[in-house]
Amino acid sequence: MIVRLAWRNVWRNPLRSGIMIASMVFGLLGCLFMVGFVEGFTASMLENAIRDQTAHLQIHHPDFLLNEDLAAWIPDAEELAEKIRRTDGVQGVAVRQVVDGMMASAASSRGVRINGVDAEHEALVTGVADRIVEGGGLTDDARRPILISRRSARRLNLRVGSKLVATFSDLHGEVTGAAFRISGLFETPASGFDETNLFVRRNDLADLTQLTQANEIVIRLRDGSQLDAISPRVRELIGGGAVLRDWGEIQPVLKAMLGSMATSNRILISIFVLALGFGIVNAMLMSVFERTREFGVLRAVGMTRPRVLALIVLESTFLGGIGGGLGVLVSAAAVAVVGRLGLPLGAMAEGLGSFGADAVLYPSVPAATYAMVLALVGVISVFAALYPARHTLKKRTSEMLAERH
Amino acid sequence: MAIVLHDLTKIYNQDTDFPITAVDAVSLTIGAGDFVAVMGPSGSGKTTLLNMMGGIDRPTSGSVSIDEVDITGLADKDLVAFRRDNIGFIFQDFSLLPVLTAEENVEFVMQLQGHSASECARRAQELLREVGLEDRMDTVPAKLSGGQQQRVAVARALAPRPKFVLADEPTANLDAETTHGLLDLMQRMNENKGITFIFSTHDPRVIARARRVIVFEDGHVTEDRRQ
Repeated sequence: MIVRLAWRNVWRNPLRSGIMIASMVFGLLGCLFMVGFVEGFTASMLENAIRDQTAHLQIHHPDFLLNEDLAAWIPDAEELAEKIRRTDGVQGVAVRQVVDGMMASAASSRGVRINGVDAEHEALVTGVADRIVEGGGLTDDARRPILISRRSARRLNLRVGSKLVATFSDLHGEVTGAAFRISGLFETPASGFDETNLFVRRNDLADLTQLTQANEIVIRLRDGSQLDAISPRVRELIGGGAVLRDWGEIQPVLKAMLGSMATSNRILISIFVLALGFGIVNAMLMSVFERTREFGVLRAVGMTRPRVLALIVLESTFLGGIGGGLGVLVSAAAVAVVGRLGLPLGAMAEGLGSFGADAVLYPSVPAATYAMVLALVGVISVFAALYPARHTLKKRTSEMLAERH
Repeated sequence: MAIVLHDLTKIYNQDTDFPITAVDAVSLTIGAGDFVAVMGPSGSGKTTLLNMMGGIDRPTSGSVSIDEVDITGLADKDLVAFRRDNIGFIFQDFSLLPVLTAEENVEFVMQLQGHSASECARRAQELLREVGLEDRMDTVPAKLSGGQQQRVAVARALAPRPKFVLADEPTANLDAETTHGLLDLMQRMNENKGITFIFSTHDPRVIARARRVIVFEDGHVTEDRRQ
């Protein structure tokens, strides 16, 4: 009967309860949509960073990590790459030769990282081939083809078919270089990456650097969540001659940013649920104080203090539960719809490009976040009932009965 | 079953410079099956006296014994249980739970006693039939007249099979016809079931029906007569 009584008491003043529930629903919608936006943004950043830049794992010579010296190559890189390709869960392994240098046109020059790649294996590891927006990839039949970003092409006043001079140091420290013909332009969501990277055939680069070995192995997994399981197996294959790093170690700033965004989401949700709790306290205060005499009658006819407390807590929990439940349902539906259709960022996309996020965001909220919100709302609803209940129950029954309302 | 008040005193604002003595050293015995009206002007202390008799308020000094149980010495939890099982309450403003139907209002008190749902429903329906509301069992209080609400309140008071019923000005909000009907009902319950009724009132229609009238003024019993 207490449950029935509590439920009906919630609907005793439908307008007040309705307004409270509506405020919870809209508040949660805004809060969870914001969380979904941040989650979608971070997921986009991470996905793009792994897809276009770091892949999941990279292998280097230990000395390469200190000064990116061309001489710090990985022994038997091809053989090692072949072994890693046979590891369960590995989607692709690319062997690269990378060197820092300059790219120059008649108009301008810029510092750049020159990636010597094998197009066939690279396609299984990074998504640059899919990001070509003009021209084509690094084909075997062309003479010294080169892929640069559309941003770099604009800055250097170049187009597909134009010649570009790349200069760098060879294995012996002598400055060398050659003219390459632009076979295609790529564009990733990360403007910083685009402006500082170009791709050539590994053989072309090796001819110029006089280094036949590779100094970078890049590994892409089928499922990123298997990273912790697969890393030790890859590490076993490497032995002690090279260093294996995951994307978080390669891009610690990105990892820290993702971590801080997750923390800020939790703080946002906590602050919102706390504010929502104050709303419930307010509603419960009004509801309980205007029924002081009624609680006196309940006490008079034999309802114990714990039962009255249970009644008030139940009312608060029902109110919070309905508002929280509906809020989560509406939010989940809205996030699902927008997450499917995508949210074009319009003018914001250019600015967010420096973070590597896509121009269209797909908000998403993990199920665990919805569960956490519901649990927090449940807990806060119970706490929200305690003050009004205590305020009422500390009165004597005769005092409660003497109240006019 | 007798209710024995011994030297019962209630002083409000005792720790201030202006203490108010609402009930002043009252000693009374009310026998089982009596039909008693406690009358007096507003502010005379009638409600305070009834509250202490019903264990709703605790006296400053003195004692209230019901069936030789000194309820003034009971712990809060025990007092609530004693009240629930032994005393029925009828209030001037009916004080029904507005979100429950007539039947649920009557059942509620029995459920607090721990009776089964079917037992509560059976007795609630029986009581509502007795007070003439068999066709309004599923009606919420807001859709009942004042007299009907007070009948539900009587049924609720009787539901836990109390030893006595305390009624605080039960007819104050009722018209003459409804008052007579309600008094007939309570008198019938008193005579047929031997339930003790104690009213606080200044309604002459109630006083006329009472077998014992206790006149209460300024916290004192100034007259105690049988009629």
